Amino acid sequence: MIVEIALLCGLVLFSVAAIIFRDLLKAAICLAVASLLLGIIFFRMKAPYIGAFEISVVAGLITVLFITTIALTKTGGDVRESKAASWIFPLVFVVFLVLDFFVMRGLIGKIPALEATPEQGTFGEVLWKIRTFDLVGQIGVIFAGVLAVLALFRKRDKDE
Amino acid sequence: MNNTWLLYIAFAAVLVFVGLYCLLSMRNLIKLFIGIEVISKGISLAFVATGFAKKNILVAQALAVTFIVIEVSVVATALAIIINTYRHTRSLDIRKLAKLKG
Repeated sequence: MIVEIALLCGLVLFSVAAIIFRDLLKAAICLAVASLLLGIIFFRMKAPYIGAFEISVVAGLITVLFITTIALTKTGGDVRESKAASWIFPLVFVVFLVLDFFVMRGLIGKIPALEATPEQGTFGEVLWKIRTFDLVGQIGVIFAGVLAVLALFRKRDKDE
Repeated sequence: MNNTWLLYIAFAAVLVFVGLYCLLSMRNLIKLFIGIEVISKGISLAFVATGFAKKNILVAQALAVTFIVIEVSVVATALAIIINTYRHTRSLDIRKLAKLKG
């Protein structure tokens, strides 16, 4: 359990670092490390498929997309952030942590035990037989994403 | 098992809070998307933790895979929009978008 708590604390720390760092490249790398830690947490929850997906797609692909965007927009990266927001953040964060702790401690023993129904079969069977409609939706979403990116990067005609 | 679930949900809530704070306070478009990513990490943690607690980890994984696919599509489209916005305004400041007309 201690390892899980350490991993979760690391996840929160790197996520906070990702939004605190002014340098966008450092922020994107912190986000990738947070994804890596989340992937390890998933592996420890005995969810290897989603762990591998998280590490390869979110920590890998999305980080590459972020770094490409940062490289393409390098000269416009120096946006002046509100100073008040960065000063207030530690205070608000600590207040939220305390509230979160007390709310969760108050909930211990009050939530009825979740109904545990052990499932059978493999991940492939669940994905292909029970959640078939999700797969159709995923294919639709991927095509929509590809079409949107193609539309946004289309070459303009000369008269436009 | 319920206490473990509450621990994971507590950390997921912290991640969602951090992401929401970023969305509300930052002005850089890429930073805003980093905030959305942090929120999505909290949501997928909550998904898988609930499946883990209910011993329904296979269905939770299938849902989380769907969630990640949607996340990737959204990020790809949004980053393309950010690059196009940058070409128009030569800045990543979200306040400049308020001045766009037509």
